[in-house]
Amino acid sequence: MVDHLYVWVKYRLEEEDSLSLIEIGEKIVRSALKLDADEVEVYLVKGWSLHVEIERNQLVRNVKSIDEGFGIRIVSNRSIGFAYTNLVSKENIEKTVLKAYHASKTGKPNEQWKGFPKPAKLPETKNTYDKKIAEILLEEVVDSAQIMLESAQKVDEKVFVVDGSVSVGEIIKAVVNSQGVSFKDEGTGVGCFLSTVAKDVETTPVCFESEHERVYKVDFEKVGVEAAKQAVSALGSKTIRTGVYEVIFGQHALASLLYYTFINALKADNVQRGKSKLKGKLNQQIISENLTLIDDGLMDGGLETWKFDDEGTISQKTVVVDKGILKNFLYDKLTADKDLTQSTGNAQRISYPSYVSTPHIEPTNFVVLPGKPSPENLLENMKKGIYVTHLQGAHSSNPESGEFSVVATPAWFVENGEIRYPLKWVMLTGTIYEVLNNVVDVANNLKKVNFLVAPWVKVSNVKVVGK
Amino acid sequence: MKAVDFGLKLGAEHVELKAEETSKTLITTKDGKVEVVREGFEAGVNIRVLVKGAWGCVSTLKTNQQSLLKAVEDAYKLAQSSSKKIKEKVKLAEVKACKDKSLIKSGKDPRNILINQKIEEILTVDKTLFKLDSQVKSCTIDYLDLVGKDFFVNSESSFIEKEKLYVWLRVYATAREADVFASASEELGSTAGYTIFNENPPEKLGEKIVKRLKTQLKAKPAKGGIFPVVLGSNVVGVFIHEAFGHLAEADLTLSGSVILDKLGKKVASENVTVFDDGTVEGAFGSFKYDDEGVPSQKTILVKDGVIVGLMHNRETAGKFNVKPTGNARAENFRHVPIIRMRNTYLKPGNYSFEELIEPIKFGYYLKNFRGGQANLDGTFQVGVQEAYEIVNGKIGEPVRNLSISGNTLETLKKVEAVGKDFKLWPGRCGKGQIAFVCDGGPSIRVGEIQIGGRR
Repeated sequence: MVDHLYVWVKYRLEEEDSLSLIEIGEKIVRSALKLDADEVEVYLVKGWSLHVEIERNQLVRNVKSIDEGFGIRIVSNRSIGFAYTNLVSKENIEKTVLKAYHASKTGKPNEQWKGFPKPAKLPETKNTYDKKIAEILLEEVVDSAQIMLESAQKVDEKVFVVDGSVSVGEIIKAVVNSQGVSFKDEGTGVGCFLSTVAKDVETTPVCFESEHERVYKVDFEKVGVEAAKQAVSALGSKTIRTGVYEVIFGQHALASLLYYTFINALKADNVQRGKSKLKGKLNQQIISENLTLIDDGLMDGGLETWKFDDEGTISQKTVVVDKGILKNFLYDKLTADKDLTQSTGNAQRISYPSYVSTPHIEPTNFVVLPGKPSPENLLENMKKGIYVTHLQGAHSSNPESGEFSVVATPAWFVENGEIRYPLKWVMLTGTIYEVLNNVVDVANNLKKVNFLVAPWVKVSNVKVVGK
Repeated sequence: MKAVDFGLKLGAEHVELKAEETSKTLITTKDGKVEVVREGFEAGVNIRVLVKGAWGCVSTLKTNQQSLLKAVEDAYKLAQSSSKKIKEKVKLAEVKACKDKSLIKSGKDPRNILINQKIEEILTVDKTLFKLDSQVKSCTIDYLDLVGKDFFVNSESSFIEKEKLYVWLRVYATAREADVFASASEELGSTAGYTIFNENPPEKLGEKIVKRLKTQLKAKPAKGGIFPVVLGSNVVGVFIHEAFGHLAEADLTLSGSVILDKLGKKVASENVTVFDDGTVEGAFGSFKYDDEGVPSQKTILVKDGVIVGLMHNRETAGKFNVKPTGNARAENFRHVPIIRMRNTYLKPGNYSFEELIEPIKFGYYLKNFRGGQANLDGTFQVGVQEAYEIVNGKIGEPVRNLSISGNTLETLKKVEAVGKDFKLWPGRCGKGQIAFVCDGGPSIRVGEIQIGGRR
């Protein structure tokens, strides 16, 4: 509930400005090079977003945001200084350049530093921009939110909509550096979510459904119906005995668990700093052969698809795990230089707004390759087990050891191939490596949830603490 | 003021506008090296209007008059399009118009401290860690100081100028021995200026973290099941914040949190009294006015086990027909203000630590948390980074990789004894946007709690 719910939408651009982002970036780079800086990089974004927000069964608030700004990295004697601002005026540009320059003089040299990325040919991306979103009218977004809300309310009168939203937005980003990179890309996004509970003698835990896309193809009605159905089916919960069970993880549950454990172990900086259990395990079997994991920065319509990453390395598709064998770590430029390899295009600025931060290694579209069975097949083959859609407390896992201890909620008991009843007071505990080693089946229902693109995954031998 | 008047002329029943300017310095060090020094400056405006009971909100960077008038008009149109559909209209609780200037009193303005001194003190923590123990593998330190100014005006003629000052530091270190990984983190935060190292000298901080890491390396997995526990002040803080605090944020209470039908009723043992206090001098969750121009205050939430209050903004106070409590906060101009906790804590009692653990034959002492999360149905989860067995009334061996869970209402009834120690712990809370808060309290004994352990 208080964890971050993913909202795609970022920002906007107004046509009135005479200079393009690249032109502004190039001007800033030139002015910084007049100081005795060795290297300069400017990251610029401009965007708008519109959110139609639902609270307690009604549309209550519409929010529009306009934002633009830039962050500048200046390198002097291999020491990096960074400054940002959202006031792109001439006077303030000069001030910001000077701040970054002075900041670069306060740090100590980083021997690993070998420079910003060099120019390269930009790859093609598909379905990352939709004119329909760029030109959408407020009324249409409001109507979509109303459709989502009403379709949830129609399912059952026990359903209470806690909150939700429909969001649209557009963003342009550019990276310009003194190596000659001058890249620009433009993208749109649309997303919606709905949180629900159902009430009779008891109130269910919060149930949740969402859908996010880059083009205007979201089924608002379906999201509403699913969120409501989930809540109704969470009524009448029972406890479960402590033991070892088969567990089917839904996409949201899988996304949160992976993000706070396994993903950290794949980041090259953590590997280099001795913080990853996967250090030294390239080309070894590390998890179940049922799993192939791909970081695809160029995925068709991917939520994280851009032509280049946030420090100007062109995006690529990286096989991370092939049938259980570790093939690659996720790199940015600095860590790749250190390992004498190439950046995998995983430098991202994930703060909000993005220009206030320096790049860090993050997955792009992290794909769990789907299997053949349908989600129904996964249930059919289950004698006694648990289906869980969300985990509470995944962020309290130990990112180094991969140990986790979380609450599974909402979750359902499955017996002889059927979802029997909802569960309460269920905790799952173990390490992510045990979980990924014990993956027995991967379904075919791919869904985009935050960074993850995955189907349902069935895992055997999960330690469950009941009451 | 012209923009506010323009909004009223368009037909809005309420208009408010907050302009802000913020400067930040951020330093990140990794394993003894400065990774990056970041300097930021930003400015912007957030506008909210209420039209026939629905909100329209705009955030923008442009602060010239023409842009502001345009933004107010946009906000009006945004509100209008939902006001046609709204059934239960938003009604704000009345507050007195307020004209005030709230300035920083701090003698230790972080802007007057040289960046090299900040770096040196930060790296001292790091050096202490690596010097003390060869098992320490990594140390990441993030430092932030934030200084800013808000100007708030609304259509009730309030005008508040408010200076802001925050200093924050987080240390995250890991250690490894063979195949056992341990991690420990510590957060400091203050609104009293560059004073974070006064109470916690860098060397002491380093020693504390090393001690925790070494304990964890020796620790064994905890058992899974239901056990009696003693929660240390640090875990009590996050328990009170997650398990109870969020449920008592009136927006979430209204959304169906389990305490909605428990207002005025006894939900906890008589030992339990809980405050959310925005007036603790220098604490990380303190401020003079909230982002709706309502003065901050000390709000009592639970008195001797009875729920006596909630945390409100003007909207929920209007709905409950009570006075707003000054809990409306926005992370910055990009966000609308929502109900956030301030310094939330359990009132201390009179048990010594020995008296708390003494009656437990077998259980756990949970000393430091790693993160927590709440659900409207009262299910809470708190991850634990430092914990010990309690055997026959004495602290035993360390355990690792566990979290606790339970239902808030059941757990509050099982608070058997409350310690006389007390501490507030600074932290950051995420509810779609970040707020600086403290939580804390004394150590307590809880009759039973669900332990998610592996054994």
